[in-house]
This record gives sequence, structure tokens and C-alpha cells, in this order.
Amino acid sequence: MTIFVHPLKRISHPLKTKILSEDAQSAGNILLETGAMLMSSGASTHRTRLTLERIAHGLGYGVELLITQRALMLTIIEKDQQHFFSRLKRISPHGVNFRIVSGISHLSWNVLEDNWTIAQISDELKRLKSLPHYPRLVVLGLVGLAGAAFCRIFGGGYTEMAVAFIATVVGLFVRQETLRVKFNPYLCVFFAAFAASLIAGLAEHFQIDIDSDTAFATSVLFLVPGVPLINSVTDLMDGNIQNGIVRAMNGLMISFSIAMGLFAAKMILNF
Amino acid sequence: MMILEILLQSFWAGIAAIGFAVLFNVPRRVIFSIWTLGALGGLIKFTAIQFESGIVFASFLGATVIGIVSIQMAHMRHSPPLVFSIPSVIPMVPGFFAYKMMLGLIALTSIENTDAYLQTLIETVNNGAKMTFVLIALGIGVALPMLITRKESIKKSPFNKRKKANVLS
Repeated sequence: MTIFVHPLKRISHPLKTKILSEDAQSAGNILLETGAMLMSSGASTHRTRLTLERIAHGLGYGVELLITQRALMLTIIEKDQQHFFSRLKRISPHGVNFRIVSGISHLSWNVLEDNWTIAQISDELKRLKSLPHYPRLVVLGLVGLAGAAFCRIFGGGYTEMAVAFIATVVGLFVRQETLRVKFNPYLCVFFAAFAASLIAGLAEHFQIDIDSDTAFATSVLFLVPGVPLINSVTDLMDGNIQNGIVRAMNGLMISFSIAMGLFAAKMILNF
Repeated sequence: MMILEILLQSFWAGIAAIGFAVLFNVPRRVIFSIWTLGALGGLIKFTAIQFESGIVFASFLGATVIGIVSIQMAHMRHSPPLVFSIPSVIPMVPGFFAYKMMLGLIALTSIENTDAYLQTLIETVNNGAKMTFVLIALGIGVALPMLITRKESIKKSPFNKRKKANVLS
């Protein structure tokens, strides 16, 4: 007569849930931090996964990842395959920042080739976070120029270009200010599109001889969700279907907000 | 005359790319590369349109060239390829068609006359289809070169063989 033994108890080496050494825990935390920074700065899912695996291997751990748009789940495994450390981290959206993406790419190679320690990685992450943005006036000026350039590409003359420049600068300013007081991100886009197209439309209102459609359409092009849409296609082709769909939906929501801003401005101007 | 116009448009496409590069906070050392890439992509797109290849295929060609060159630039300037490719491809985003489509959709909610309704519907669908396919073409065009050359990572791609050989020898 055989006694029933629960299947789990027959495993010769049961999984030990012993907490890993301090080192492995901080390695896991550093990896989560890096992954969250990458995802919120506009890297594709594949790049995030690749970078995290590279850093983990450089530090001498195996790693399993679940990457979504708003949260990151990680299990770090020691070489003996018996001890592990799991944690979940929320990703807060910050807006695209390619300086961080570029810096973390360097960092991952330094870990692999020069055997950086966890303390060094942590210092480098801190440095990357504190890197300055471009001065606000420079951003406003250059994005305004980009708006004028769009206008030129779509066949506008100098008057239309000037209108597009001013509309873009005002729109971007509105967006920065609304983001600063932490409105809903789609609402920020709506306000920016509204302000920009209102200015482009007012220019038409007071000066009849410009081709209004060109200035009107190009004044909001600085808001197009280029990074979500392109990353969405990249993710979909990599097989990260879920993240691809989430990014595409986000891009669509932003486009919809732009359209609503345009619509509102047009309603007011036609009234 | 046509050539001059194409060159001028490409120049402005590069400027638009720089605007987005600054918005995305790229490292300072890659800004000129992004201007070059944006202008190059614009040059190819506008030339292809001159040869009547249609805006979708023209955008696809431009985006593919940007994707290929950005991999090369990633080695020269030591930044990941997407830092170069995304800002340079954004000037090709079909914002004007999206705008036209949106206006058409809004107009469709209030037109009573059947003939006018049909006319608007046709234009709206046309603009919407153009916009959608150009967007897909841009995304695939940028992603394709990376997917083709990718083994483990960019640093081990065939583009980088010479460098690796130097290291080994």
C-alpha cells in the first residue's frame, strides 16, 4: 500500500525562497530603475529587455522580465538556479529623453566590458537623471523653426512660415506650462493644439491674403506622437504585440486630442 | 529649378528634424548628424515623389535609407540608432493628411446634401488611407534595417565586422 505524496514534495531540490544577499537585491533594484528609466524615455521594448539582460549578465545573474508600458516585473536568479529575487516597479511616464537612452546604452557596455560595480552603475544613473535639458528658449526657438520648416515643406510662403513659427512657439509654451501644473497629459495636448491653431486662425482672420490651411495644419505638427507611433510599429514587428497595441492606442489618443483642439479653435473662429 | 526646390525642401526637412531632436533632448554631439539624416531622408522622399512613385512608397524609401544610415551613424557617434532615426523620420509624418481627414470627418457630421456628402466622404477616406499607410511605411522603413542586421545587438552586426577584426588582431 502506497501513501499519497503531494507532487511538490517529490522534488529532490525544492525551490528555496531564502532571501538573496544584499548584493543581489541591490542589483535587482538597479535593474528595475534602469528599465523604468528606459521605458519612460522612449526606448522600444526589445531595447529595454536587451539592455537589462546585458547588465544582469555583466553582473553575473540570470534575469527574467515582464515589460509592460506602465509596470516592470523582474526576477533575478543566481547562477545556482535555486535562489531568486522578484520585484515589481511602477513606471511613471516622464516624456521622451534620448540623452538617457543613449547614456544607458553606454552604461550597459561598460558593465559588460569593464566590469562596473553596482555602486558605479548607481552613480551613473544618478548622473544621467541630473543631466540638463536644453535651455527653454532654445527649445522654443528651434521647435518654432521646425514648425516653420513644416510649413515650408507643405508649400507655405514666408508669411505662412512666420505664422506657423509664432503659433508653434505659443503652443509649445502652453504645453510646457500645462505639463508643469500636472494636467492630464491628453488635456495638455488639447490645450496646446487649441492655442496653436487659434493663433494660426486669428492670423487668417486679420490678414486675408495668406493660405490659411497650410499655416493652420502645420502649426500643430510639433505635437504629433512620433515616438509612440514608430515605437508601436517596432514593438509589433518584434512580437511584443501587447506593448505595440498600447503604444498605438496612446498615439491615437494624442492624435485625437490634437484634432479636438483644432476643432475647438475652428468652431470659435467660424462663430 | 525643380532640383533647387527639392534641395531647399530637404534643407527645411533637416531643420524640422533638429526641432524634434531638441524636443527629445538628444545628446549635443549628434545634432548635426540628425540634420544630415533628416535632409537625406527628405531628399530621397521628394525625389521619389518627382518620379511619381506615390507618397507611400516615397516615404518608405526615405525611412528605409534613414534606418540604414542611422545604424552606421550609431557606430560613428556612439549612440543607439533610434536616437538618430526617430527625430529624422518625424518630418515625413503625414500631418497634413491627418488634418484633412479630421476636418472631413467633422464635416461629415453636419452635411445634409447627398452629393456633397459623397464628395466629402471620398476625400476623407482617401486622406485617411494615405495617412495610415504612410505611417505604417515610416514605421516599417525605420524598423526593417535594424531587424535585418540584428543578431545579438548592433555592436555585433555585420556592419561592425571590420571594427571587431581590428580589436581581435
